[in-house]
Amino acid sequence: MNDGIVVIAQHGENRADPLTYESLACAWSLCGGDAERIRVIVPGDRSRTVAREIAAASGFAVTSVESDVLTTYNADAYLRVLGPLLERTAPGYVILPHTCIGYDLAPALAVKLGAACITGVEAAVSGNERTGFVRTVSAGKLSAEVVPETATAVLTIQPGAWQPLDIKPGSAGAVDTVRIEAGTGRSRTTGFKQAEYQGSALADSTVIVAAGRGIGTQGNLALIHDVARLFPRSAIGCSRAVCDAGWLGYAHQVGMTGATVAPKLYFAIGISGAVQHVAGIRDAQMVIAINNDPSARIFARADVGIVEDLTRFIPVLMEEYDRQQGTTTGTEEIREPRAQENSPPPGPVKR
Amino acid sequence: MNILVCVKQVVLPGMSAQSGSRINRYDEYALEEALQVKERIPGTAVHAVSAGPQRVEAVLRRAMEMGADTGIHLHVDSGEELTPYQAASLIASHVRANRYDMIFAGVMAEDDLQMQTGPMIAALLDYPYASAVIAQEIRPDNTVSVERECDAHRRQCVELDLPCVLTVQSGINRPRYPSLSNVLRAKHQDIIRPEALGREVPRARETTIRTFAPELHPRGMFLEGTQREKAVRLLGLLHEKNFL
Ligand SMILES: Cc1cc2nc3c(=O)[nH]c(=O)nc-3n(C[C@H](O)[C@H](O)[C@H](O)COP(=O)(O)OP(=O)(O)OC[C@H]3O[C@@H](n4cnc5c(N)ncnc54)[C@H](O)[C@@H]3O)c2cc1C
Repeated sequence: MNDGIVVIAQHGENRADPLTYESLACAWSLCGGDAERIRVIVPGDRSRTVAREIAAASGFAVTSVESDVLTTYNADAYLRVLGPLLERTAPGYVILPHTCIGYDLAPALAVKLGAACITGVEAAVSGNERTGFVRTVSAGKLSAEVVPETATAVLTIQPGAWQPLDIKPGSAGAVDTVRIEAGTGRSRTTGFKQAEYQGSALADSTVIVAAGRGIGTQGNLALIHDVARLFPRSAIGCSRAVCDAGWLGYAHQVGMTGATVAPKLYFAIGISGAVQHVAGIRDAQMVIAINNDPSARIFARADVGIVEDLTRFIPVLMEEYDRQQGTTTGTEEIREPRAQENSPPPGPVKR
Repeated sequence: MNILVCVKQVVLPGMSAQSGSRINRYDEYALEEALQVKERIPGTAVHAVSAGPQRVEAVLRRAMEMGADTGIHLHVDSGEELTPYQAASLIASHVRANRYDMIFAGVMAEDDLQMQTGPMIAALLDYPYASAVIAQEIRPDNTVSVERECDAHRRQCVELDLPCVLTVQSGINRPRYPSLSNVLRAKHQDIIRPEALGREVPRARETTIRTFAPELHPRGMFLEGTQREKAVRLLGLLHEKNFL
C-alpha cells in the first residue's frame, strides 16, 4: 500500500458537502494519527473558497484543482483532470462518498490508476496485517471484509458510516491551487433537472406505514391500508421495488432516491432494509418491522421486530384490534389464548 | 445500432446456483431499454453477454427469451466469483474485437451491490459513460442524451458521444415477459461462445477475506409468542406510546 490518502471533496454552492467531512473522518481513521499523509482535493472551476473552509476545519493540506471543465460534475471531465494528477501522486487510498458522484467516478478512476475499488464501505478493520473494509453483500444478508491487493485503493464510503470529522486543528492546513487545462471531452453535463418530486406529503407525516416487495401482490396493499387505518392520521410509504412494480406511485417511495422522512412511527412491512431504503428513515423516531425472514437487515434498524408472514399476521392484528374495540374500548388487557393455540408460554420480551 | 447488454447471473441467499439463480433485475431493465431502442431504430441488433462458468448460460437464454438477438458466453471457470474488474476486463476485450455502438448494463448487481462493472468497462475502452440512467434518448447526430438519477429531487442531464456505456437504474421501464415466439426461438438458437484462446482473467485487485452475518439487533427487541400474542403486544405497545 502506498502512504498517502487523498480525499476527493464533494461540494456545492461554495460550501463543502457535509459528506465530505465523513470522508475526512474516514481518512483520519486510516492515517494512524499522521495527518501529513492526508491531502484533500477540491475539484471545481473555482474551488478555493471550499478548499479554505476544509483546510480551516480539518488542518489537512488541501489542493483546489481548478479547470474550466469542472464547473459541474461530469465523469469524463473529472477523469481527464484527476486521473493524471492522482497517477502522479500515487496515493494509497482515494476516498469518495458513495453518492451519485462517488459511485459513478470511483470504478473508472480505479481502472485508470490500476487500483482496487471497494464501494459502499461501512467500516475499516485495522490492527491486522492489512486494513480491511467492510461492505454489505449477498443482497444485504451478509457483510464481507475486503482487502486491496494493489498499491492504491479507491474507496466509496456509505453516507452515515463515519461521523463527520470533528477535530480542533491547531492551525489551518495549507491550501494550494493547481489549474489544469483540459479540452472538450466526449461527455457533457448539460445541467441538472428538478425531478417531479411528490413525496412531500410523506415528509410531514407522524405515522408512515410502508410496504415492500414482500407484500407479494398489489392486492395485498389492502393489508397495508388496514394497518394504516389503525391510526388517526397516517400515510402510505413504500420501497422502490414497490414503485418499480407499478403497485404504488413514486410519490410514496422512501429512501435515498425517494422521500427522506422523519415520522414518530415508521412501519416497515415486507421491506428488506437495503441501505438505500434505510437512508430515508434515519430520523424516524420508532421503527416497527414485520418480515418473515429473521435475518432481514431491516431488523438492525428496527426498535420492534416482528418475525411473521405479513399476509397472516396482519389479519390477526386487525381481528385482535376489532375485538379489543368491541369489548372494552381502549384497555390494554392482554388475553393469552394459550389454550386454543397450543403455543409455548409467552416469555418476557426478549432483547 | 449494435447494442451489447451485459447480464449477470445472481445467486441470492437461499438459492443454489443450479436451481434458484436468476438474471440480475437491474440487467432486465438494461435489456428492456435496449429492446426498446431496437423497436424505435430499424436495423438495431441486441446482443446479451455474460462472463462466467457454464451455468451463466441460463441467463443468456432468459435474455434471448426476452428478445435479445444473440446470447454471447465468455466462458471462464476459475472456481471463484469474478470481481467487477475481472468481468469488465473480459467484456471489454470482447468489445474490442467486435463493434458496438452502445453498451448497457444494470446499475448494480443485486448480490454483491458493487455498482462497478459498467463504468469499469467504459474506462477500459476509454468510452464515455453514465451510471444510474433513468431516461435516455439517442439523437440523430450520434449522441445520446441521458438523465442520471441523483436523488429524489435532482437529475443530472448528460450528453454523450457514441460509443458509450450506460448503466441503467430500475424503474426506467417495465421489463417485458418473454413472448412465446421468442421462447421457441431461444430454445433452438445456439449460444455464441467466442474462442477462449488467449482469454485471461486478470488478477483480482481486491480479495474478500471473510464474510459474516452482521449484528442484527443492536437496537430493538423482537416480539415473541404466537401470532395472536404478538398482535396483542403490538397493540399494547402502540397504546402505550399513544399512537392509537
Ligand atoms: C442507486 C440506487 C438507489 C436506490 N434508491 C432506493 C430508495 O430510495 N428506496 C428504496 O426503497 N430502494 C432504493 N433502491 C433499491 C434498493 O437497493 C432495494 O432493491 C429495495 O429497497 C428493495 O425493496 P424491498 O425491501 O421492498 O424488496 P426486497 O429486498 O426484495 O425485500 C422484500 C422483503 O420482504 C420479505 N418478505 C417476503 N415475503 C414476506 C411475507 N409473506 N411476509 C413478511 N415479509 C416477507 C423478505 O424477507 C424481504 O426481506 C436503490 C437502489 C439503487 C441502486
